[in-house]
Amino acid sequence: MMMKTIARTSGWTALLLGVLGLLACGQPEDTGSQLSPAALETVDPQGQKIVFWYQHTREREDELLELIAEFNRANAHGITVRGEYAGNYNDIYNKMIVGLQGGTVPNLLVAYQNQARAYYRAEGIVDMAPYIDSPRWGLSRDVLADYFKAFMDQDRVHGVQIGLPPNRSMEVLYYNIDWLSELGYEAPPRSWSEFAEICRKAHAQPFSKSVDKRRSLGFLLEIDASRLASLVFSRGGDFANAEQTAYTLDTPEVRQALGQMVELIQEGAVALVGEEYGDQKEFGAGQVLFNLRSSSGLPFYKSAVEEDGVGFRWDVTHPPYAGDGPYVNVYGASISICRTTPEQQLASWLFLKWFTEPAQQARWVRASNYFPVRKSTAGELESYFAQNPQYKSAYDLLEYGRSEPSLGTYQQVRRLIQDAMVEVLDGGDMDRVLPELEKAANRTLVGDEG
Amino acid sequence: MASSDWVRKGIPWLTYGGLGLWGGISCFPFFWMLLSSFMTRGETLRRVFLPEKVQWANYLKAWQEADFGLYFENSVIIAAMQVGGTLLFSLLAAYPLARMNFRGRNVIFACILATLMIPESVTMVPNFLTVTYLHRNSPFAWLNNWPALTIPFMANAFSIFLLRQFLRGLPGELWDAARIDGAGHLRFLFQILLPLCRAPLLTVGMFTFIGSWNALAWPLLVTNTPRWRPISVGLQQFVSEAGAEVHLQMAGAVIATVPVLLIYFLIQKEFTEGISMSGLKG
Repeated sequence: MMMKTIARTSGWTALLLGVLGLLACGQPEDTGSQLSPAALETVDPQGQKIVFWYQHTREREDELLELIAEFNRANAHGITVRGEYAGNYNDIYNKMIVGLQGGTVPNLLVAYQNQARAYYRAEGIVDMAPYIDSPRWGLSRDVLADYFKAFMDQDRVHGVQIGLPPNRSMEVLYYNIDWLSELGYEAPPRSWSEFAEICRKAHAQPFSKSVDKRRSLGFLLEIDASRLASLVFSRGGDFANAEQTAYTLDTPEVRQALGQMVELIQEGAVALVGEEYGDQKEFGAGQVLFNLRSSSGLPFYKSAVEEDGVGFRWDVTHPPYAGDGPYVNVYGASISICRTTPEQQLASWLFLKWFTEPAQQARWVRASNYFPVRKSTAGELESYFAQNPQYKSAYDLLEYGRSEPSLGTYQQVRRLIQDAMVEVLDGGDMDRVLPELEKAANRTLVGDEG
Repeated sequence: MASSDWVRKGIPWLTYGGLGLWGGISCFPFFWMLLSSFMTRGETLRRVFLPEKVQWANYLKAWQEADFGLYFENSVIIAAMQVGGTLLFSLLAAYPLARMNFRGRNVIFACILATLMIPESVTMVPNFLTVTYLHRNSPFAWLNNWPALTIPFMANAFSIFLLRQFLRGLPGELWDAARIDGAGHLRFLFQILLPLCRAPLLTVGMFTFIGSWNALAWPLLVTNTPRWRPISVGLQQFVSEAGAEVHLQMAGAVIATVPVLLIYFLIQKEFTEGISMSGLKG
């Protein structure tokens, strides 16, 4: 009887406390401003102290902190930037969302496009367009043209510049040249049918240096929305419509991509990645011919093959394609400026502008293996290209770049896509799964004004 | 006769065999972690079972690269404060709920229990707002300092519940005898009951220690510099967005896991007792 009373009282109390908890979450403080272009010209950033939240660790963090120290020493306005590791992308997102409630936000932070849209809606970050266009503080026409337009466009939503890319990565096809040669091919596949044919041959004829010839695969597919996006882009499809107002996930391209994978998995020529970076491990061990992964993994592949693996010639290229030409999935988080004071916002912009200059970009590329965001950086990377031919191969693919949707709910939809991939690859009916996926994805947009 | 003899002898073998197998399966991830921590990166990539040569250097590298020295020290201090605070406040809260009769006792207990049903993600924002308010309005710093990392967790509903259940089971004659000797509630609690509460207190201490040791989201929220960040943040340094460094990850994981295992082995008898005596065991 008493336990019953306690249980009943506890339920109501939990509800009450939950409501009180939600009520305690106030509105974000309006601490800063979105200045008019004219007012921006008169702002003085002298002596401002800036906090920058990032996700980098170890070698990347060391180089980033060195760059920050150099900026602090050299900038003419006496601006001081303090870099702070704030966890991974999700940790930063949580920290920012909670910080918006408590009025404790940084000045600059790393954010994916969908996260930046959420911050912008909550008035946590500012539109960077006035800073870019400012005659005094902004980018000249020539400098602006030097940024890869596709990268800049990823952060431009309905005319609002929600971030500035500091770097980018792309999904590339890693392949084992020696094994390909043993199979009788001189170049990586250019079409998806050729890809399937080579995968079947690789399954039947293991690589001569493989550590375990009982397991021989053409390709290892990871359950990930970005992997599927690569397969779809290369077929001329997309995950969202051209206006970026709706998801398009039940298309012939999605069906072809998944259908081919199902077929190859059933034949044993393709398998699913069973552990973190399992595809990278098996690639280094000579057990899988192709990998589809981020270009930022190039140094890991290099050591996986040349130092820790069985040793063979390898390279990267764009995924096979169907239709008008190759496409690669280009992605990466950008940096947004938080809404603080006009002086701090301007100081943040000046740091960001400095960070994307070719000299700094070249240093950042060497430390991070990311791609620079300005074309002229290539001139500073000649020796790096020579030392890292695979990086150069990937760099040359930048012109084929396409990006995943920048819709605000895309993070949520990525999980739906991954669930659908599992279901289809496990034998589920595409005629049922994909329409449901598209409906569920578009339902997330209800009430999301963009 | 022979058949029943076989059954009598066979049942323990089957029982121990089954339990041994279950134990082996449970321990395998730990062995795998330990073995991988001694391998070269190449060996982890080739998925060999045993390292050819034990790579002690992985531990040194993990320790240095992730600044484990500082994080380890922080975790020990934070955990010690949290355990001490939780034991004190939980005991002081559990005692009246278990041993004193007053109006509204059940409602208060129900309120405390209700907080168990609110997920951590819901309480995170109000907690952060409270800590930020205190940071701005108290004479000492809360953010980027030990108070934000320890004080919000010193009142723990589960610990109060566990201790209350145990205290309710103690005979009422103890209180009568203490009263005859002139003891008040505090003296009765700290001189008579405390020595009897060793097992549940160690259990509460163990749970609090594990919770504190593994915490990641909250410490990242209330700290911006490594000065007070715990070991879980150090471990995160090896999670790369581009490639695997399993050998270093596992070396870091072993460093982070050893204190928890060590403490568990030291108090496992009391831990089991604490669970069973407080009526939590099914």
